[in-house]
Amino acid sequence: MSQFTQQVILGLLLGGIYVAVALGFSLVWGVLNIVNLAHGALIMVGSYITWTLFVNRVIRAPLLFTFLLTFGINLVIVSLLLLLFTADFRSVTTTYSGAGLHLGSVVIPYIRLGGLLVALVLAGILWLILNRTRIGAGILAVGADRDAAQLVGIDLRHLYALTFAIGAAFAGVAGGIISTFQSITPTAGDPYTLQSFAVVILGGLGRVSATIVGGLAFGLIEVLGQSAPGLGSGYANAIAFVVLVLVLIVRPRGLLGRLA
Amino acid sequence: MSLLALREVSKRFGGVNALSGVSFAVEPGEILGIIGPNGAGKTTLLNCISGVARLDAGDISWKEQSIKDVAPYRRAHLGIGRTFQIVRPFPSMTVRENTAMGVLFGRPHSRLQPAAAMKAADEVLELVGLVEKREYPVLRLTVPDRKRLELARALAMRPQLLLLDEVMAGLNHVEVEQALSMVRRIRENGVTIVLIEHVMKVIIGVCSRAIVLNFGRTLAEGPPEEVLKDRRVIEAYLGERYAKDHESPPRPGEGHDGP
Repeated sequence: MSQFTQQVILGLLLGGIYVAVALGFSLVWGVLNIVNLAHGALIMVGSYITWTLFVNRVIRAPLLFTFLLTFGINLVIVSLLLLLFTADFRSVTTTYSGAGLHLGSVVIPYIRLGGLLVALVLAGILWLILNRTRIGAGILAVGADRDAAQLVGIDLRHLYALTFAIGAAFAGVAGGIISTFQSITPTAGDPYTLQSFAVVILGGLGRVSATIVGGLAFGLIEVLGQSAPGLGSGYANAIAFVVLVLVLIVRPRGLLGRLA
Repeated sequence: MSLLALREVSKRFGGVNALSGVSFAVEPGEILGIIGPNGAGKTTLLNCISGVARLDAGDISWKEQSIKDVAPYRRAHLGIGRTFQIVRPFPSMTVRENTAMGVLFGRPHSRLQPAAAMKAADEVLELVGLVEKREYPVLRLTVPDRKRLELARALAMRPQLLLLDEVMAGLNHVEVEQALSMVRRIRENGVTIVLIEHVMKVIIGVCSRAIVLNFGRTLAEGPPEEVLKDRRVIEAYLGERYAKDHESPPRPGEGHDGP
């Protein structure tokens, strides 16, 4: 039983990372309608606000074009990072890196717990931005109907740039969390693009709570899946994506999604 | 000085001339009606004025300044508000939140925060009679209420010119009467109005002037009663046969002999 509890806790902690990683991704997807394949690279770097001006040109472009552009940005960022930091593995090691909170036979690693807390704080900040500020109101309006938003006086280009910037900034913080428990290389962010995509699809688009639920659920599924009898860590992704497909069959908009 | 002036405005969609060489001016304080059969270019005209559609030729000026190349959101800041024929509220928001968007972003120099904007929204909702339903999600509103909301969102921007795209369509007699008095009230508050309408009663009831569009051209212009009697207008609008039927014989007891 304590073995199971341990797995659940580890799953939730991993899920916390996914929440952090997917918040910005979900925002950019929901409002700008861009599935940002460069999100992983943004996570690894953190602050690519300059790119926003660039992205403004593809807002109304077809899906494939935005794929091409964001994939291109991904390659550029990764290459720049390779040049700057080389391909060596690096990691952030703190004095409490190996330590954990012992509750009976269950261990909660401090680092991971911190990651989860930061992720939840991030989600809270995003919720506050969206629901309590002028900019957030604009973001929600543009996400709902961009033409009507223009006609109540919202500057679309400005807002798109801001949204992308916020998404990138959140990616940056997520990158900070990741660096504390995983070796980083310029290409290490790529899997997180895929994870973000899965989390947003699982939770649903268009609200912060959906990303939290999606992220935690995805983390749980991955950890529980690979610890199931007869399966190993190699199956983690496979199981998670099978569950993802099953959820989509039952709830096409995700667990909590509200935008189609 | 005219509030708004259109000079030889043309707009094509592919091979179709949605508007060809339309010119007219809107004077401060008037209610101008724009009528015409389906496909005459009425909505395209409003799209050109609000900036959602770009002109292919001609010019539009606001208080004698060309706004041809001005972005839609800036035109909103100048004081041009509009409603859509098919209402377009923000679906995920409540009535009050929808209206607050107009307050937040439509008033260029106010840097109101959302909480204050919500209060300002209530005043507008009072005017259109939606204040009791302010916490409703918009998807729960009936059609007439959605039209009211559309109006509220535009009014929240404190426009000087309000473009109304068939706000009366789909309303019953009583609701049309209510809407008419609301339009009059808005005018009395100093807002100039351009409205597109199919319901003749509306045009005659509130408009000081009417313009008839047909196939993207101006067919007639003048006081509503006269314009609606114009034979070309009756033909375009109601069909040639209707025009003929109503020309002869003159109704018994009426002294004159047709338009």
